Amino acid sequence: MIQMQKKSWQLPITIVLVFLGILLSAQLQTQTRVLSDLSMQKTEDLITMVRNLTEKRFQLEKELEDIEGKLIALKNSNSDELNIINNLRAELNKLEIINGTKEVKGPGLKVIISKDSPILYIDIVSIINELWAAGAEAISVNDTRIDYSTVFFYTETENSMFITLNHKPLTFPIIIKAIGNPNTLEKGLTLPGGIIDNLALFRAYPYLEQEEEIIIPPIENELVLLEAELVRK
Amino acid sequence: MRKWVLPITIVCIISGLLLSLQFKAQASLSSNPIGQRNKALVELIQNLEQEIVKYQNELTSLREELENIENNKASGQEDIQKLQQKVQKAKLKAGLLSVKGRGIKIILDDNKAGLNANPNDDPNRYIIHYENILNIITELKLGRAEAISINGQRIVTPSEIRCVGNVILVNTTRLAPPFEISAIGNPDFLEEVLISGEYDLLKGAGFPVSYTKYTKENPLEIPAYTGTFQFNYVKINE
Repeated sequence: MIQMQKKSWQLPITIVLVFLGILLSAQLQTQTRVLSDLSMQKTEDLITMVRNLTEKRFQLEKELEDIEGKLIALKNSNSDELNIINNLRAELNKLEIINGTKEVKGPGLKVIISKDSPILYIDIVSIINELWAAGAEAISVNDTRIDYSTVFFYTETENSMFITLNHKPLTFPIIIKAIGNPNTLEKGLTLPGGIIDNLALFRAYPYLEQEEEIIIPPIENELVLLEAELVRK
Repeated sequence: MRKWVLPITIVCIISGLLLSLQFKAQASLSSNPIGQRNKALVELIQNLEQEIVKYQNELTSLREELENIENNKASGQEDIQKLQQKVQKAKLKAGLLSVKGRGIKIILDDNKAGLNANPNDDPNRYIIHYENILNIITELKLGRAEAISINGQRIVTPSEIRCVGNVILVNTTRLAPPFEISAIGNPDFLEEVLISGEYDLLKGAGFPVSYTKYTKENPLEIPAYTGTFQFNYVKINE
């Protein structure tokens, strides 16, 4: 009789426990489901993404139109040479701005970091990163042009620490200059929870100044590619 | 009879609670107004991303077509050839061409095992953040990396590495873990900076990270930048 009774509740309990186990694991899965999944993001973040992607699509459209125009002109023209030379010169001009081989000017933003700011090399990297994200078109730090190979690090002496830029100590005040839309650049740094808010937590208060004209010098040493070679198609 | 009533009741209540929680989680994604709006936004983002990829492919093929026509029409023209060589060299530096060479490839992934073992912890402690990637890129530059890409996105001068919510974006392109960072350069220099920096911290914190060195015989390939460069404010100072 006792045996029978035991058996009569074993089955339902087992079923319920199995069911519970499945539910629990499903629950855990929803929890660990990639936090980076789009459906897990906040509405305002999704809106920001839509805005950025729309801007990117617009830029691509513009560049596509530009190249299509060049192609048509080249196909229909008799003065090929002049056309080609003009195209190449325009392209080279653009590439020289990208590579930083020419001095450039334009409106923009100055970020001034004074001597009493507790700031690390990674903070300078972050500010530059945010300026690019806000649409900066050229950047310098203490009049050294920034390109993709610029090295930021630090060096320590017995009683102090220096931020280094291309292995040379950066002296205060550190002045970061960026060419671009001055308002957009400033907003990129000062948005709530942005880099300026973050630095304030560490009692660093960079001073921002919009400028009508900023001049940024060319890079000092052009990077020589020793390892990277062209992939020929 | 009475003996099993209590345990079964308890178990039923618990599973009922869990079920309703589960439904709530599902419902918040699909049926409430914010969920609906987010769903629409996610669709919009996915459509935009598809269009962008289409435009980028078009742009790459148009750039090639233009280059070919220029090459054909200008063959034999010495001054044009010189100009073309200059442009080609500048494009190589700007990241507009694919490159290969010795280097290192790093793989970073979210620490799923760590999160599963500590489900009550803040999940943010177990995922790779954009700062981790930005730090590694900064260190690779110290190791004299000549070309860098993350999940196929070439790092060029104005490339930004950032996050919106928990989504990591490079060149406005959404990246998902695992993150594969490729860098061309002297593999020994790159390894040295890597193992004494952010990579080591992630490894110490239990993240599944690894790296492979690539030799000249077995080179690493890094794709070209497929985006645009915008210059609305900057001018060459003549």
